[in-house]
Amino acid sequence: MASLPLLSLIVFLPAAGAAVLMLLRSDDAVRWTALGVTVLDFALCLAMLAGFDTTTHELQFTEARPWVPALGITYALGVDGISALFVFLTGLLGWICVLASWVAIDRKVKEFMISLLAMQALMLGVFCALNLFLFYVCWEAMLIPMYVIIGVWGGDGRVYAAFKFFLYTLVGSLLFLIGIIVLYLHGGTFDILVLTQQHLPFRVQSWLFFAFLIAFAVKVPMVPVHTWLPDAHVQAPTAGSIILAAVLLKMGAYGFLRFSLPMLPAASAHYSTLMLTLSALAIVYGGLLALAQDDLKKLVAYSSISHMGLVTLGIFALNRRGLEGGILQMFNHGVTTGALFLFVGLIYERTHTRSIADYGGLMKAAPVYTTFLALFTLSSMALPGTNSFVGELLVLTGGFAANLAVGAAAVLGALLGAAYLLGMYRKVALGPASVSARFKIRDVNARELAAILPLAVLVLWVGLYPKPFLGIIDASVKHLLAQVYAEGRGQ
Amino acid sequence: MTPAALSQSILASLPEIVVVGGACILLILGQFVRKGQGALLVCGSVAIVLIAALATLMLAGEGRPAYAGMFIADRFAVFFKVLFYLTTVLTFLLSRKYAEIEEIESSEYYVLLLFALSGMMIMASATDLISIYVGLELMVLCTYVLTGFLRRERRSNEAALKYVILGAVSTGIFLYGASLVYGLTGTTQLDGMAAAATGDRLDPGLLLAVVFIVAGLVFKVGAVPFHMWVPDVYEGAPTTITAFMSVGPKAAGFAVILRVFLNPLVAASHAWVIVAVIAVVTMALGSFVALVQDNFKRLLAYSSIAHAGFALFGVVAGSADGISGVMLYLLIYTFMNLGIFGIVIMMRNGDFSGEVIEDYAGFAKSHRALALLMLLYLFSLAGIPPTAGFFAKFYVLVALVERGFVTLAVIAVLLSAVAAYFYIRIVMVIYMREPDGAFDPVLTPAVRATLALTAAATIGIGLFPAWFLKLAHLSAMAAGR
Repeated sequence: MASLPLLSLIVFLPAAGAAVLMLLRSDDAVRWTALGVTVLDFALCLAMLAGFDTTTHELQFTEARPWVPALGITYALGVDGISALFVFLTGLLGWICVLASWVAIDRKVKEFMISLLAMQALMLGVFCALNLFLFYVCWEAMLIPMYVIIGVWGGDGRVYAAFKFFLYTLVGSLLFLIGIIVLYLHGGTFDILVLTQQHLPFRVQSWLFFAFLIAFAVKVPMVPVHTWLPDAHVQAPTAGSIILAAVLLKMGAYGFLRFSLPMLPAASAHYSTLMLTLSALAIVYGGLLALAQDDLKKLVAYSSISHMGLVTLGIFALNRRGLEGGILQMFNHGVTTGALFLFVGLIYERTHTRSIADYGGLMKAAPVYTTFLALFTLSSMALPGTNSFVGELLVLTGGFAANLAVGAAAVLGALLGAAYLLGMYRKVALGPASVSARFKIRDVNARELAAILPLAVLVLWVGLYPKPFLGIIDASVKHLLAQVYAEGRGQ
Repeated sequence: MTPAALSQSILASLPEIVVVGGACILLILGQFVRKGQGALLVCGSVAIVLIAALATLMLAGEGRPAYAGMFIADRFAVFFKVLFYLTTVLTFLLSRKYAEIEEIESSEYYVLLLFALSGMMIMASATDLISIYVGLELMVLCTYVLTGFLRRERRSNEAALKYVILGAVSTGIFLYGASLVYGLTGTTQLDGMAAAATGDRLDPGLLLAVVFIVAGLVFKVGAVPFHMWVPDVYEGAPTTITAFMSVGPKAAGFAVILRVFLNPLVAASHAWVIVAVIAVVTMALGSFVALVQDNFKRLLAYSSIAHAGFALFGVVAGSADGISGVMLYLLIYTFMNLGIFGIVIMMRNGDFSGEVIEDYAGFAKSHRALALLMLLYLFSLAGIPPTAGFFAKFYVLVALVERGFVTLAVIAVLLSAVAAYFYIRIVMVIYMREPDGAFDPVLTPAVRATLALTAAATIGIGLFPAWFLKLAHLSAMAAGR
């Protein structure tokens, strides 16, 4: 196994695919090649999971090559339980995104698919990187394809949204860059593993914590730096929204898990109350905003802010249940919200309106569509039996253990979630069919179903039998907590 | 000077002699070249530069002092000379068709560029205030003339006049500083100046002299407060000359600044505080004023001011890392900036100037490959990885933080976010707007070659910086002695 650079294959396959696409002429050839590449990439991700040893927190499938030796920069890849889960998620959503843009993107198909594949390669790079420099390069380079995806194929306000997205994340990331350099000068290397083992003075940790916080908070996004998200989501094409919600937002939380907690344990513990408060704020505020939306996409976008608040709450509860719940909830949010954006995109393709008021009684016209929509709506509400229930329950128990008030706020957020999601479903799917009758709505076709089904399976699988998923992250979570507590709470 | 020392000196300055001699020959032979045979001139000029490059590389092994300590051929100089050769050759390649369209096809154009090149080469090798001055003047006199080369255009004349007057003032300031140094220490050699700095308290007169010298040099790189000429001169000059000036003479200015700043006298005078202030203000001014520009050449002028500011941060950092940071920055900047100027030059055809940003609306629709190249250069200028521009900035930042200047690093980083805004704005115009008219870019093989080389370097150095970093580091060590 060691001889085959599996992770490099996973990361570079989409990049190679993008290069091949440049040579193709017909749009259909482009679509099929993109699909083939992403499916193959997903198969590799599955192979990685199949060979993954869940009993250890050690990094697996590691590979390292010198890159810029003078600065201790290596090309180093590897996955632990946490990153393996997200590599899997990214691999899965890769081909779902291709399917979601099959007919929705009808101009400059080639450029779009190239951007999509480039994005895929960079996201996988972020999750696999074991070198801070490599991590940063992938993290920052993602801005280019995403900017182009939103700005070229987005809605009417796309230019503004793309700008806002770019500048927000750029400013955040640049401070992160300084933080990385400071870490490098303290540790003499960019190697993430080595850096997690050093003990920085608390003052340095504090500064770094806030430098990192700005970068990660923008990506999550946490209140008050969340305002780019609704704009970007609403304007982005469906595949862009799916990537944003399902993977890009995870980057911030992943950053907390990969850098803030293990490298700055004392500061993470010290500022956990602040982080919990911000998370609670995001949960309630995002929920309230979602309640007020009439635009389907905006509603899902604001619900993302609320749900990601739950994730950061779980992480900064700094106990095992909270952390496991937070990580599982990241995964769940990727599946569920990715699916919801897909559904918004499907209906938008048919009707060209996203206003909830324009719909009603879709149940009659598109029974399959509305059935699956119900499943994902219920999943987003964290109904028992669905994936989010497991995650949310863990986060709530962890949250209550950490701080009673924050736990209460999270429950309030869950209530709000039920309100806006049920309201949305009622207005869209139920009620008199007269309103939406003026649209000729087809039900989902086989291609669309192929994109929906795996997500639906995951919703139920995690909901009914979460053990394999928790099993993947279990050892890593324990190790992470040990790292935090070895130094953290003591100070 | 003994014959042996003379032959040593001639050997050390062989590349300069080749360029100057070649330029003289070209000046005479150029009179016999008829209109429409510009290719001959280009080939001749490129050949001269290549011979000089060969000589430079053959002499690159060891440091050779020459002309009684006024001149040195060391690795530091070699690095810069190679950079100048690249700039000049790429400018030649870009010039041919452009010169034809603008009707400035005469051999003097190429001869002046060669003389400017020799001036820059002397600057890179100079170890005496007088030889620095000689190189400097040789270079700027040629660029004055080249700026005004579009004789029938008013703004070209105006730019040249402005450049001459302001340039003369700055030269005067520099000379005044040099004369003060001579008066106080009895020498103009950088080594000699170093000896004068051994006392524990610095003579206020010497401090004043250093400030004057720094001011004179800062003018050449277009840093605040001596930046006023940059936008007008860049806009007025023929675009090929703008491309040349934005890279070559600027790098030459930095070569001298680095050499002077390595001097213990300057180090003892705490001039770095001044430079730090200049760097911050330069970058801020360049970035913010560029936000409101509609003319592409003016925007690039302000962008080059901002980039000079960023490179100055490397000078502030000082250490070997800082110096090699600046050198790497300049090398990378050469490629990406010549790339973007190559595109502007290529757009000049018929009634189309390619100078207004609006001209590029919908460029991506009609010319996908060229638009993609522009995207690459612009993101590199903005410093987004994995392009080379990112690594250039990264290494300067490492040097800054290493010296403990974290606040400066944060300022530099935030200002580069501002700068990113206007580069991204151009990307937006290219990709997200509908085209107004048809484009017919002039894509001669020479222009294609230039764009291909600059693009390859912009990606290549970004992905594999290790070798270039080592090169810059070794060259910086040579100057540090």
